[in-house]
Amino acid sequence: MVIRLYTISRFAIVSTLAAGVLVTAAIAEDATTDIGTLDKESAEKAFPAKPPYSPYAGRNFPTRPYFGDTHLHTSYSMDAGAFGARLGPKDAYRFARGEEVIASSGQRAKLSRPLDFLVVADHSDGMGFFPQLLGGDAALLATPQGRKWYDEINSGKGAQAALDIVVSFGKGQMPKGFPTPGTPAYRSAWRETIMAAEEANDPGRFTAFIGYEWTSNDGGNNLHRNVIWRDNGAKASLVEPYTTLPPLGSPNPRDLWKWMAMTEEKTGAEILALAHNGNLSNGRMFPIIESFNGKRIDREYAENRVRWEPLYEATQIKGDGETHPFLSPNDEFANYERWDKGNLDLTEVKKPEMLEFEYVRSALKNGLKMEAELGVNPYKFGLVGSTDSHTGLTAVEEDNFFGKTSSSEPSADRAMHPFIKSDKAVIMGWETTASGYAAVWATENTREAIFDAMKRRETYATTGPRMVVRFFGGWDFESSDANNRMPAKIGYTKGVPMGGDLSSAPTGKAPSFLVAALKDPIGANLDRVQIIKGWLGKDGQTQERVYDVAVSGGRQIASDGRSKTSVGNTVDVANATWTNTIGAGEMITVWKDPDFDPALRAFYYVRVIEIPTPRWTAYDAKYYGIKLPNEVRMTTTERAYTSPIWYTP
Amino acid sequence: MKLPFLREPLLHFLVLGAALFGLFSMLEKKDAEAPTKIVISASHIATVSDRFARTWRRAPTDQELQGLIEDDIRDEIFYREGRAAGLDRDDIVIRRRVRQKMEFLAEDIDGTEPSDEQLATYLVSNPELFRIEDRLTFHQVFLSANRRGSALEGDTQQVARVLAQTTSSTSPPTIGDPFLLGDEFRAMSQSDIAHTFGEAFVRQISSVEPGRWQGPIPSSFGAHFVFVDEHLSSKQPSLDTVREAVKREWMNARRVEAERKLYDQLRQRYQVVVETQPKATASEAGR
Repeated sequence: MVIRLYTISRFAIVSTLAAGVLVTAAIAEDATTDIGTLDKESAEKAFPAKPPYSPYAGRNFPTRPYFGDTHLHTSYSMDAGAFGARLGPKDAYRFARGEEVIASSGQRAKLSRPLDFLVVADHSDGMGFFPQLLGGDAALLATPQGRKWYDEINSGKGAQAALDIVVSFGKGQMPKGFPTPGTPAYRSAWRETIMAAEEANDPGRFTAFIGYEWTSNDGGNNLHRNVIWRDNGAKASLVEPYTTLPPLGSPNPRDLWKWMAMTEEKTGAEILALAHNGNLSNGRMFPIIESFNGKRIDREYAENRVRWEPLYEATQIKGDGETHPFLSPNDEFANYERWDKGNLDLTEVKKPEMLEFEYVRSALKNGLKMEAELGVNPYKFGLVGSTDSHTGLTAVEEDNFFGKTSSSEPSADRAMHPFIKSDKAVIMGWETTASGYAAVWATENTREAIFDAMKRRETYATTGPRMVVRFFGGWDFESSDANNRMPAKIGYTKGVPMGGDLSSAPTGKAPSFLVAALKDPIGANLDRVQIIKGWLGKDGQTQERVYDVAVSGGRQIASDGRSKTSVGNTVDVANATWTNTIGAGEMITVWKDPDFDPALRAFYYVRVIEIPTPRWTAYDAKYYGIKLPNEVRMTTTERAYTSPIWYTP
Repeated sequence: MKLPFLREPLLHFLVLGAALFGLFSMLEKKDAEAPTKIVISASHIATVSDRFARTWRRAPTDQELQGLIEDDIRDEIFYREGRAAGLDRDDIVIRRRVRQKMEFLAEDIDGTEPSDEQLATYLVSNPELFRIEDRLTFHQVFLSANRRGSALEGDTQQVARVLAQTTSSTSPPTIGDPFLLGDEFRAMSQSDIAHTFGEAFVRQISSVEPGRWQGPIPSSFGAHFVFVDEHLSSKQPSLDTVREAVKREWMNARRVEAERKLYDQLRQRYQVVVETQPKATASEAGR
C-alpha cells in the first residue's frame, strides 16, 4: 500500500509579500499594499465591477492546459505484437479516457485521472503484420521466413520468432507478402486505426487524434517521427501511411516531408510531424551535416523541417532528451534519466562528439547558428513529452508505470531484466523512464484547437506529473505583474506565450518574462523554476546559461542568478513515500534578462523542477518486496520543459 | 469489406487455439472417450506455465495461471465446436474460415446498428455514463501557502472576517494572492475543477450555496474563498446530444455481452475438469 503525505508548505519565499497584504479593505475605500496604494478609482480601472454578461467575452485565450500523449503503440505495431501486446487502439483510447482495462499481462490497469487527448501512433511499417501472420496468411506462409515464424509461434517459440522478426525488419529483410501500403491487410489495419480514433473522439471531452509513426531506423539510428492529423477519418482514409522500406517508403526525412506536402495537397488535410529519441540517433537527429548525403544542411532542408516539425518529443520512456552533462557541464540538473550508451539497437556505441546533435538544448543553439547562416532556423521547435509505450497503456506515473512493452508490465523482475542487449552494451529494465506527457494550451478540447496550439508551439513537456506552467515574454513585464490577479490576461496582453517570437527590441530594453508554475494537485511540491537561455555570441559560438528565477523554501538567488542550495529530500525509499513539507505549491515571478545584448539571437525556455520523489523502481521494490542493486536509481526529480520564446534581432 | 478480426478478442482465443494445435492432438484420445469432457491435466498445466515463463521470463502468478487455463478451456471448446461442425480439414484456408465462422457468431450481433429505442433504453439504464456534470461559475480569493507561510492561518481568519461582512460579489481587490489560472472560473465542470484544485476541493465547492462568499476551502496550493455565481446541476442529456457516445458504449457492451453469451452457451455443454496443479508450481508462482 502506498501512502503519501501531503502537507502545505510552511515556507514563504516572498516574505515581503506576506507582510501587510491583508488590510480590511472591504470597509475602507482604499488600501495600501506592497505595490502601492490602491484607491477606489484605480481599483475600478483594474477591476471593472461588473463583468460582461457573456462569460466568454474577452476570453479567447487558453485558460487551462490539456494533457495527453502523442505517441502510443498498440498490438497493431509489429514490435508491440511481438512482445505480447494484445490491446488494440480501441482499448488504448478507452484506457486514456480513464476506463479500467485488463493489460496484456492480465493485470487490471487504470489511470489516476483521465487524459484529455491521445494519439495512437502505430508503426507504419508492417502495420497489421501480426494479425496477418497469426491468421496464417497464405502469401506470407508461402515464404520460407513467414513459414518459419508461423511454425515457431505455433510451437511455443513465439519470443524467438518475435526477436527474429524485429531483427529482420531492422535489416530490411522482410518476406514477400509483408503488409505494405496498397495491400488489403495494410489497408484494413489503417482503416481500423482510423475507426478507433473516430469512435473515441468526443469533442469537448476527449480528443482522439488519427496518426502513425514513421520509424526510420537506418543502421539502428533512431530518426523516428510521429505524424498527426488535424482532420477526421474522411480525409485521413484518402491516403495510407508513409513507410520507411523502399521502394514505397524511405528512411530519409526529406522524403517524409515530400509525402506530407503531397498528402496535404491531395487531400486538403493538415498534418504535422514530431521526432523523438535523438538520444538514440548517434548524432543524426539534429544534424548540421546530413547523414544521408554527407552535405551541410541547406535552406530547403531547414525550411521543410521547420514547416513540418513544429514540435519535438523531449522526454519519454527511452530516456530524457533535454540536455546531457557533457553538453551542459554547469547544469547540475542535466544528468537526468540519461540513455547514452549507443544507438537504438546498441549496434554502435556512443561517442561524445555525437551528443551535440541529439539533445534539445544543443539543437536549439545550433538552430540559431543555422539561422544566421541559412536565413531559416531548422530547429525552431516546441516541446512535448510522451510515452512511446508499446502496451496500449499510456501509464507513466511513477506509482502506476506499465512499462515500455507488454513484457515489462509490472512484475517482480522487470527492473533487472535487460531492456536492450547487444555485444556492445546493455540497457537494463530499471533504466526505462516513467515519462512523459504533452501539455497543450489549447482554447478547447478538440482536434482542431489542440492541433492549432501544437502548430503555434504553445506546449510544454512533463515527465509525468500534471503541473501547470505559464510562460510569457515581452518588453514591458514589471515585477508587479507577478501580483496581478489575472496572470494569463496580463501575459497575453503584454507579451507572447511559450513558442512565440520577440524581435525589434526597444532601445535600452531587455526582454522580461512572466513565469508561473502550479504543482500537480495530487503531486509533489516544486523545488524551483528556472529559465534556460541559449544564444549565439558575436564570435559565432553558441552559449547557454541557467538562471534560477524562483526558488522555494526561503532560499536566496545569488547575484549570479543561481541558488546552489538543494531543496532537500523527504523520500523514504523503503516505503516509497515522500512528504510535501519542502518545496512550494505554486510560484510566480517576473524575470528580466540581466545579460541581454540586442544584437544577438537568443532563446529562452522554462524548466520547472519538482522536489525529489520515489522513482518507479522504489514503488516496484516496495510492492514486490524485492531488493534492487545499488546502481538502480530509486528517486527522481520530475520536471517540465516549456517551448522556447525566441529573440531575433 | 470490413475485416473485424483485428479487434475481435475471440480472434486471440482462436489464434492461441491454433498455436496450441500440437497440444490438442495429445488430448484427442481423451476426446474420443468423452467428447464433452475436457481434462486439463497437471502436465498440461506445467507446459502452459513453462510457455508463459519463456515469454515473460518469470513464472505466472496464480491468477495469471488461472487465466491461462481458462483461455485454454475456451480455446479447446471453440476448437472442438469448429471441428464438430466439420469446418476443419487440413489446409490453412479452411482453418481460417473456421475461425471466421466462429467469429461471425459474435460479430453478427456486434455488427447490428442499434435502433433509437435501444439507445434510449441504454441511456436510461446507464445514466452515470452519460450524465452531464455539474458546472460551476465562481470566483475566488486565494491565499497562497507558499507566500504566506506560517501567517496563512491567521490571514485566513482575517479574510474570513472581511468577507463575512461583504455582500458584494466582487472582492476587495487588495486581498488575496495571484493564482496562476486567475480568479474567475466560468462554467467549469466538476472534473475540470478536480484536475485543477484536487478531489477534496471539488467535493467542498460543490456543496456551497451560490450567492455569497464562503470558505476557506483548502487545496494543496493554499486557502480559497469562493463566491459561486452559478451552479448548474448535473442533468441527463437527451439522446440527440450524446448519440455517438451512447452508441459507442452500447456497441462495446454488446460486444462484451455477445462474447460472454456465446461462450456461456457453449461452455454449458461441457464438463470441465481441472486437475490440481503440481505443488512445486504453486509455490513457485506464489513467491
